[in-house]
Amino acid sequence: MPRYTTAAMRLELRWSDVEEVAAAAATWLVGARLEVDLDALRALLAADARLGAVRLDLVHPGERVRIGRVFDVIAPRARLDGEDFPGVLGAVARAGDGRTLALAGVAVVATDQQTDNVGTLAVIDMAGPTAALSAFGSTHNLVISAWPAPGAGRSDYLAAVRLAALKAAVHLARAAGEREPDRVEVFALPPSPRVPAECAHLPRVAYVFQIHSHQRPTGLDEGILYGDPVRRMLPTIVHPNEVLDGAVLRGFMGRSVTTWAIQNHPVIRALYARHGRALWFAGVVVTVAQATEPERVRSAFLAAGLVAHALGADGAVLTKIGGGAPHVDMAQAAAQCEALGVKTTVVVEDMSTDGSAEGMLLFDLPGVDAMVNVGSSQEPLTLPPMDRVVGADDLVPRLQGQTRATYGTLCGAIEQVGATRVMAEVR
Amino acid sequence: MDARPLRVVCYVNQYFGTLGGEDRAGLGPQAMEGAVGSARAVQQALGEAGTVVATLACGDNYAAEQPERAVAELVRLVAAAGPDLVIAGPAFLAGRYGVACGALCAAVQAELKIPAVTGMHAENPGVELYRRQVHIVSTGGEAARMGDEARRLVALGLTLARGETPGAPAVEGYFPRGVTRNVVTAASAAERATAMLLDKLAGRPFASEVPRPAFPAVPAPRLVKTLEGATIALVTDGGLVPRGNPDGVEPLNATRYGAYSIEGKTGLDAAQYDNPHRGYDTSWVKQDPHRLVPVDVARELEQQGAIGKLHETVYSTVGVATTLAHSARMGREIADKLREAGVDAVILTST
Repeated sequence: MPRYTTAAMRLELRWSDVEEVAAAAATWLVGARLEVDLDALRALLAADARLGAVRLDLVHPGERVRIGRVFDVIAPRARLDGEDFPGVLGAVARAGDGRTLALAGVAVVATDQQTDNVGTLAVIDMAGPTAALSAFGSTHNLVISAWPAPGAGRSDYLAAVRLAALKAAVHLARAAGEREPDRVEVFALPPSPRVPAECAHLPRVAYVFQIHSHQRPTGLDEGILYGDPVRRMLPTIVHPNEVLDGAVLRGFMGRSVTTWAIQNHPVIRALYARHGRALWFAGVVVTVAQATEPERVRSAFLAAGLVAHALGADGAVLTKIGGGAPHVDMAQAAAQCEALGVKTTVVVEDMSTDGSAEGMLLFDLPGVDAMVNVGSSQEPLTLPPMDRVVGADDLVPRLQGQTRATYGTLCGAIEQVGATRVMAEVR
Repeated sequence: MDARPLRVVCYVNQYFGTLGGEDRAGLGPQAMEGAVGSARAVQQALGEAGTVVATLACGDNYAAEQPERAVAELVRLVAAAGPDLVIAGPAFLAGRYGVACGALCAAVQAELKIPAVTGMHAENPGVELYRRQVHIVSTGGEAARMGDEARRLVALGLTLARGETPGAPAVEGYFPRGVTRNVVTAASAAERATAMLLDKLAGRPFASEVPRPAFPAVPAPRLVKTLEGATIALVTDGGLVPRGNPDGVEPLNATRYGAYSIEGKTGLDAAQYDNPHRGYDTSWVKQDPHRLVPVDVARELEQQGAIGKLHETVYSTVGVATTLAHSARMGREIADKLREAGVDAVILTST
C-alpha cells in the first residue's frame, strides 16, 4: 500500500545516556561523559542582540544547590533529518518524522533575570527531599542566566531567553554526533483510519492537548505551535510525533508546565505504550483555552467534533495549561465529547486555595466524572537550606536558607500535562 | 523511641461509663481514675503502648442541652489529667453521644493542642458535624465488636500522638475529612488517566481522584414587578475598582469586595478605575470599564424608562481562586445589602 507508506510518520529518538557533565575545551560525548565547551556555547548564545551578559553554570544531582528564577526547562534534542524546533529556532517545517538525537540525564534550564515579580518563577533543588519531587532534581542541568540588553522589552527578552535555551539544547544533543545510541525509541503511528483487522476491536483513544491559555495574550515572538503564537487558533489535529519532536513549546506564562515535559509528553507516551494492545491511539487534538464564553463554547464543540467525527475516537484524555479558565475550558471540551458519546478522563490540578476538598474543582458537568489530579500547587512546602544558589544572584539571601514555599514553586513537582507523580489526596 | 508510656484520657457517656441508663442522662461531667466501662476496651487495645489515666464521663442530656458548658468543663478535666492523647467513644449510632465526642475532640485539639480521635457510625449526626475537624473512625451501629473497633481507634490515635500523618481514609478506616494533601504516587498522572479511561471505556468501576462538588442548584427568583418599575443593581466579580483600590480587593483568592457609588454618573471614566483581577486579560476592561460594568447603557435605559431605577451602588470583587466559603459569604452579604436597599434585580457580570 504505497499511500500508506508515504503518509506514515516514524520518529526515532536516538538516546544517549549521560552520567557526567563537565566543562571542557570542546563539546563532545565521551562514553557517558558529556564535555561542554562553555566559552564557545556562551559566545553562541550571547550573539543575540536582545541579550546582554550571558552566564552558564553546570549543576549536578546531589549537589546542595538551588536553582532560582527558573523560567523553563528544555530537553536536549537535535534532529538529523529536519529543522530543530521548527518555526522558533529552525525554519517552519514538519517535525516528528525521522531521526532525532536525544540526551538522557541532561536538561537545559532557562532563567528569567528581568522580572521583579519573582513569585511567578520557580526553583529547582539538586539535593534533599525536594529534589526527589521533580525530574530536574536528578538531571545534570546547564543553567542559562542571560540578562536583557539595554532597552529590551519583556516579550523580546523572554523570546531571546527561550531561543538561547533551544540553541543550547540542540548544541548539547549534537555532541552525540554519529556515535551509536544507547537506545533507540521508535514512535510510529499509521494514519488514523488505518486500523489493522486484528486491532479493530480496540477502543480508539484520542488526546486533547490544551497548549496555551489566553488568560494572558501571547507576545508576537511567543511561538507555541510551530512558531505560531496561537492567538486565533481553533482546535486542530496534529500527529503525536510532532509534539514529541519540538513542534509545541510552552508559552511564556507561568509555572507548572515545562517544555521538557511536552518533549517527553507523558500522555502521548502512555497512549503509545498501550497502542495496539489495550487501545488504538487515534491522534492528538491541540486546543487553546479561550478568554470569553462564545470562544470557549466554540472551541469546546470543535475539539469534540474532531475527536468524535474526524478521529472517530471512543475515548479521550484531556489536560489543561494554566489556572481556572483553562480548567473550565478543558472540562467544557470533555463535556462536549461525552455528549457525542466519547468517554473522557481529565487531568486536573487541585484548585482549592484553602485545602478543602469542596474547592478542588471549578466545574460539575455531565459525564465529566473520571478525574485524575496533579496535586495542589498551593500546598505549603518547606525547601531545605542549600550551600549555593545558582541563576538568581539577587535572591541568595531569600533562597539559600530554609525557605517556605509551595509545591507550585518547585519546578517539575507539578506538571499539568501529567508527568508528575504528586497527587492531592482527599483525607 | 520515647520510653515514657503514653498517657491516654478516654471519654464516655453515662451508659458506656456504667453510671446508669437514660435515667442518669442529666449527669454532669466527672473524672474517674483509670479505665472505666468501655474505656477498658481501649486499655486492652493499648496494651503496653499506653495507659488510660482517666475516664471522663458526661450524661447525654447534659452534653446535648448545654453543649458549650459541657465541653468547657470536660476540656478542663482533660487539661487536669495532662494526657498525650484523647480517645472519645466509640459512640456507634448514639446521636447525642456522637455529637459530644466530636465536640470534645475538636475542642481538645484546638484549645489544648492534644491529638484526639473518636469513632461512630456513618449515620451518627456527629460525623457530618465534626469529620472536617476530627479523625472519626467508622464503626458499626452497635457495640457488638467493641474490641475490634477500639483497636482501630487506638491505632489511629497512636499515629496522631506520634505526630505522624495518617494514611488515606479508606486505608485507616476514618471518614474523609474533606481536606486535601499532596502525596507521591507510583504511577504518573498521565498513566493513571490512561488506565482510568480504559476502565471507563470497558464499563469497569473506576475511582475518580477528585470528588464532584455538590454545588447546590440556585433557582433564579422570578421578578414580580415589570422592569419599568424595578430597581436594578450592577454587580461584578470581574475586579473593577476605583483607582488606588481603596478596599484592597485582592488580585486573586479574594476575601473582600467593594461598594462604589455611581451617583450622578452617566458613565465610568476609565482614568478613574483600575482592575487588580489576575484571572483574565483585563486590558479591554481598563480601556473601557463599561465592557464589564455597563453603567452607560443602564443609565440610558433608566432615562428612557425601560427600567425603573439604576441602583446607585455597584458591588465589585475579584472572582479567581476564591474559596467557596468566601464566595458564599460575600454573595450573602451583598444580597442582604441589596435587599435592604430595595433592589429588585441584579445584572451580575462575570469573567
